[in-house]
Amino acid sequence: MASVQFKGIVKKFKDNLVLNGVDVDIKDHEFVVIVGPSGCGKTTLLRMLAGLEEITDGEISIDGLRVNELHPSKRQIAMVFQDYALYPHMTVEENMSFALRLRKTDKAEIAARVDEAASILQLKKFLKRMPKQLSGGQRQRVAIGRAIVRKPKVFLFDEPLSNLDAKLREEMRVEIAKLYQRLNATIIYVTHDQVEAMTLAGRIVIMNHGIVQQVGSPIEVYRKPANLFVAGFIGSPTMNFLHGRLSLEGETLFFSNGDIKLSIPPYLLSDAKKHDGREVAVGVRPDDVLVGRDGEKCSDKVEGVLEVCELLGHRENLYIKVGETRLQATVEAFFDRSPGSAVQLCFNYRNMHVFDKATERRISE
Amino acid sequence: MEILRSIYEVAWFILLIAAGVAALVGYLYTHFRYYDRGWFAGVALAGYPVLALAGLRAAGLQLPSAAAWLFFASALIYVFFRYAVKGRHTVPYLLLAPAFVGLALLLVYPFVFEVYLSFHDLKLTTIMGWKNTGYLPFVGLEQYVKVFTTSPLSEVSFWALLGRTLLWTFSNVFFHVVGGFALALLLNNAIRFKGAYRTLLVIPWAMPQVVAVLAMRGEFHSQNGFVNIFINKLLAVFPFLASLGVAPVQWLSDYPLLTCTIINVWLGIPFMMVVILGGLQSISSSYYDAADIDGASYLQKLRFITLPLIKPVLMPAVTLGTVWTFNNINVIYLVTGQSGGTEQADILVSALYKAAFTYNRYSYSAAFAIVVFALLFFISVTYLHGFDAAKEER
Repeated sequence: MASVQFKGIVKKFKDNLVLNGVDVDIKDHEFVVIVGPSGCGKTTLLRMLAGLEEITDGEISIDGLRVNELHPSKRQIAMVFQDYALYPHMTVEENMSFALRLRKTDKAEIAARVDEAASILQLKKFLKRMPKQLSGGQRQRVAIGRAIVRKPKVFLFDEPLSNLDAKLREEMRVEIAKLYQRLNATIIYVTHDQVEAMTLAGRIVIMNHGIVQQVGSPIEVYRKPANLFVAGFIGSPTMNFLHGRLSLEGETLFFSNGDIKLSIPPYLLSDAKKHDGREVAVGVRPDDVLVGRDGEKCSDKVEGVLEVCELLGHRENLYIKVGETRLQATVEAFFDRSPGSAVQLCFNYRNMHVFDKATERRISE
Repeated sequence: MEILRSIYEVAWFILLIAAGVAALVGYLYTHFRYYDRGWFAGVALAGYPVLALAGLRAAGLQLPSAAAWLFFASALIYVFFRYAVKGRHTVPYLLLAPAFVGLALLLVYPFVFEVYLSFHDLKLTTIMGWKNTGYLPFVGLEQYVKVFTTSPLSEVSFWALLGRTLLWTFSNVFFHVVGGFALALLLNNAIRFKGAYRTLLVIPWAMPQVVAVLAMRGEFHSQNGFVNIFINKLLAVFPFLASLGVAPVQWLSDYPLLTCTIINVWLGIPFMMVVILGGLQSISSSYYDAADIDGASYLQKLRFITLPLIKPVLMPAVTLGTVWTFNNINVIYLVTGQSGGTEQADILVSALYKAAFTYNRYSYSAAFAIVVFALLFFISVTYLHGFDAAKEER
């Protein structure tokens, strides 16, 4: 097992800048998920670590060893591809043992390792089958098995679950979590699905436009998003953003966007004078929009109109309009109010975030 | 006015074909509609032959035995529809009918006639009698015996021809595949001016074969051909080559089969290249990524990834290439076959052509052609069987 360092990684495809100075340190035995929207450069970063893409600038090292110029097979990594990339003309067993056979590993050793990986992944029954004869989930397991057999220093997963249906994806997510507990390996996992990122990761690297937006544990990036992008990307349903201006009235700082006026308590934004007149975005997760009830450390009541209710079973999504501002709230089922009715809501200050409009960075505590 | 006349004739011909197809479809239609009526048997067995005969007469054909043949055909069709089809699948049969007429005219009729010829004796001495009286002596299997025992030309035997044909086919297809594969691998890389290279490489295939072959034949001319001129220039620059045995040769008279092979390899590589390139481009790049990580070298990737994955496109192409090369009369005939040409380069089909149209042994050639057909059929079935087995494997 090994640590991985990215130092100032830059990637250009001709004039197109894909990665612009990525610095990430990944520790030994760590499960790191790189997450971001399509085209943010996360897969490119992974492929560069694997040695499948040229590195335009910067340095990648595995276990302190610079690997920029090393051939993929010499980097002691294993990769699981989005489309599995199982060799279609080889059986499961041949697929799993291919790398070892190329290295002329001892036959008994190959058999032992394949057997071990197959029993971890419950693939023993399928060893003689062709990839074509397997379901999507089984193919994915074979692809993981192919990685395990090689006993690499670092496992790379490139959106491994995105070709599976929703139910299977959940099952495989749990499988991968269990596998990590068992192997205790360094795993770098790329996905665009923030649920996978939140559930699997020890640490999350959030990327956008080729830049690392925030690195932190799942709960850190959820509770303390560093900027507007992270706040909007992590969490489902998406955070509500209110765009407006701060103003100082007496000693109290107020936020206003024309429809909603909120007092901003000092534990959210200290040094009120500094923020007078600042353009900001206030972020509140739907869970922290309290509808028709009070809570500790909550804002003043705001009057709104219920537009749509979505019943999910245990929870209910409410789409509320306050003046021209649209808000989403999640409440316990059953809310029992018909669309069009007036509702009272307030915001939970403890989970409220204030972002500067210009820099998009978080300025609240 | 000549052009108007041509247009008129073509239009008349198209009209005639349309009428024939319409008649056939009408014939099938009534069959399906009334096959189980009591009066229908009589009409089908007597009415249609009479109508068809009237049509043939109107078209200017004088065939005394046509009536009997038409009656026989009509009876067969009647029995087939009455007892086998029983009025089922009306629409599919009607939709297939026009295509079936075309196939029958272009393939079935010539093939049946060829089988008929091969059991009779049609040659220069009997052809006038056949034309005047319609009589052809029946000889049974004699023509087939002759195929294996006598030479189709003046000296070379069937077996020598067969061996030469197999050698010719194998060497050509081998170099086609190897050359096409190498070029396809080169073109599959990200290189500059790829489109231009591809166009240039496809030209030999896109040109009419006759033009290409005749042009290449000129290049192998002993005095004025490019090949010998090039060898002479080379010798002038590097005199030591002469001591290695390099010298201009009489390509067309001394090495006719080799010359034909070189020309045909040049002609056939583009097809294989295009097919293999298509196959290469259909292979997902993630297999190569995975193989890179697994530590496969370039040759290992070629052997364990590329070759198995292009096999499905390669096998049909090789089968086609084998049949085409086996049957390639163009190159051999155009390079060596004209008057005074040599027999040293003849393969089965070119010998067959000469036997039929230079030596005028029609029945013998018919039997010969059927033997060649049987051989090719066997080769193709073996290939395709191997292909199916390969497909089962994955």
